Amino acid sequence: MFGPTPFRDIFLVAGFELREMTRSKRAFLFAALYMIVAALGSYGFVQFLTATQPMREPPQRRDGRPFDFNNTPSPSRPELPAATVTDPNRPTQGKLFQRGSPFRGILSGSVDEQEAVDFMAALPPITLFHMLISLMILPMVIMITSSESISQEHQSRGVRFVALRTGRAEFVLGKVLGQGVTIALMTLLAGAVCMAIAAWKLQDFEFFPTLSALLLFWPRLTAYCVAFLGLAGLCSMNTNSTVGSRTFSLIGLVSLWFISHLVNVYITFLDVGGGWARLLNAIDFFSPFSHQNDLWYPETGRYGGAMASLIFLGVFYLAIGLINYRERDL
Amino acid sequence: MIAPNSSPSALTFADVGKRYGRNKALDGLMLDVPRGSIFGLVGPNGAGKTTTFAIACGFLHADRGVVNLLGEGRFNAKKHRGRVTALPQDAALGRDLMLVDVLRYFGQLQGIPHAQIGSEVDRILQLVDLTDRARHRTRTLSHGMLRRLGIGQAFLGNPELVLLDEPTNGLDPRQARDIRNFIASQRGTRTIVVSSHNLNEIESICDHVALIDHGRLVAGGTISQVTNRNEEVCITLAAGPWPIAQVQAALPGDTIEEDLANRTLRIRFVVQPDRQAEDVTGIALRALLDAGARISAVARGQSLERAFLDLPVGTPAQPKT
Repeated sequence: MFGPTPFRDIFLVAGFELREMTRSKRAFLFAALYMIVAALGSYGFVQFLTATQPMREPPQRRDGRPFDFNNTPSPSRPELPAATVTDPNRPTQGKLFQRGSPFRGILSGSVDEQEAVDFMAALPPITLFHMLISLMILPMVIMITSSESISQEHQSRGVRFVALRTGRAEFVLGKVLGQGVTIALMTLLAGAVCMAIAAWKLQDFEFFPTLSALLLFWPRLTAYCVAFLGLAGLCSMNTNSTVGSRTFSLIGLVSLWFISHLVNVYITFLDVGGGWARLLNAIDFFSPFSHQNDLWYPETGRYGGAMASLIFLGVFYLAIGLINYRERDL
Repeated sequence: MIAPNSSPSALTFADVGKRYGRNKALDGLMLDVPRGSIFGLVGPNGAGKTTTFAIACGFLHADRGVVNLLGEGRFNAKKHRGRVTALPQDAALGRDLMLVDVLRYFGQLQGIPHAQIGSEVDRILQLVDLTDRARHRTRTLSHGMLRRLGIGQAFLGNPELVLLDEPTNGLDPRQARDIRNFIASQRGTRTIVVSSHNLNEIESICDHVALIDHGRLVAGGTISQVTNRNEEVCITLAAGPWPIAQVQAALPGDTIEEDLANRTLRIRFVVQPDRQAEDVTGIALRALLDAGARISAVARGQSLERAFLDLPVGTPAQPKT
């Protein structure tokens, strides 16, 4: 007989969570919410490009050299194939973040160092947009949707049927895993939506560079989500109502955001150093927002460290929650 | 099935206390559920029955005292999964999944082998008469059907201890009877603890009973003990002679109570090897018939309902066993 093991139970609970989400249309609602934001956002972004790009950039070749309208390409000039020429009346996806461009200023506001700005500027703009919008809205989406996952079971007392058959830790981890898989799939789907809109509206949309950039960032985005899933799980497992868990999750989210920004402001503007700086940095470590910037760096050590920290935070939040959850009344 | 070399008790509570804020839900509860018994837990609203179940199942943690399930300490999912099951009160099953999915999930979690899970789910659905609803979503079920599904999941696999909180609540009379018959048919194969407000139901299916009130044990023991079935005979007479003196003469030393309003004689006696309830009943009836009395009814002991109504609720007592 294949006896029950903790991992087996976790996967069983996660599988049931996914099935239940699908059947209850919760997943569709969740997907729709995220898709609508991604679709509207990317459409708006592309429209923005449409409105600004022709004014800011001269028509250009794909090799980056300025296009000379007096030197029209023709079959007799193979070095300038007609297919590489862009229509000056349609937006392109490249060269948005040239040095000196106001968009670089926006990026510089998002990350601290020039190296990250350069890396971001080299990305296909729609991938960059997808990442930026996902990093911005996913914490909120996770707090709103995933924070109910366990508390709903408390509210209905349905957890009692499961608590007789598996450990509480397995139940919680299974629930969070189910939510995590859903979020990871949703981010991929949202990326696909952004890509589809870009392909539809941008003339020189490059499929493979955009796809590879999207896939490059997907694990980073997933790691970022793990931290917030842990926070949502912490709030969800220790409340008895969906309203309560959502409220606590949102308060927790805002608190962590506030702590992270407060610490940064304090260190940057008041220029504190020594022991205070170490203490503040230590506090800052426990906010997922403080690791967000490092996800934009090209070096494996830097973004890998950020991913590891974010995953650790997710596990840490869950562990904190489980200390109480193992002994609390259901 | 009942393990051969096991503790004689399936469930014990020793001085268990539980508070909700200022309210004492359990206040030093003592309980001993023998293995293989069908045990009734009765008491007024707020007596602590559901809290007792919840603590036994590990949903709630006791503030004090010792709980022991199957001789292996308090509930632990790793040790007791599949061996201890329950129908929790007011717990809702997932609303959007099919019945087979829900039962399959529970069965898998409690460790039923993959090869057996399908047949086990079919058995349970048949048991609670929901086979035709197997592929319906749980939210389409009526209250009674959900109750039956809840009872069914408690009998998945081969549990040693089953705790059923108000199992027939919300069922129509036929379904309630079927469930009672099923529970009674499990006698000797596993231990079942049933809580109910319906004392007739408890009396008909249980062999042991405990009354709790204000979180304490008020009375308990076998049904025979609590209803004095072996130590009391109740005879109701129709209109006509009332020959109490003849009965007293025939049963010297026994206590005879008269209830003139209900024309009932209650005879309490001490059981001896050569003097059982049947012997006392025969002597009393002979004396009554010889004196021309007309007999309406004869009963051994009193109903469970009467026994509990007579109890001084609020006074803790020790079980008779």
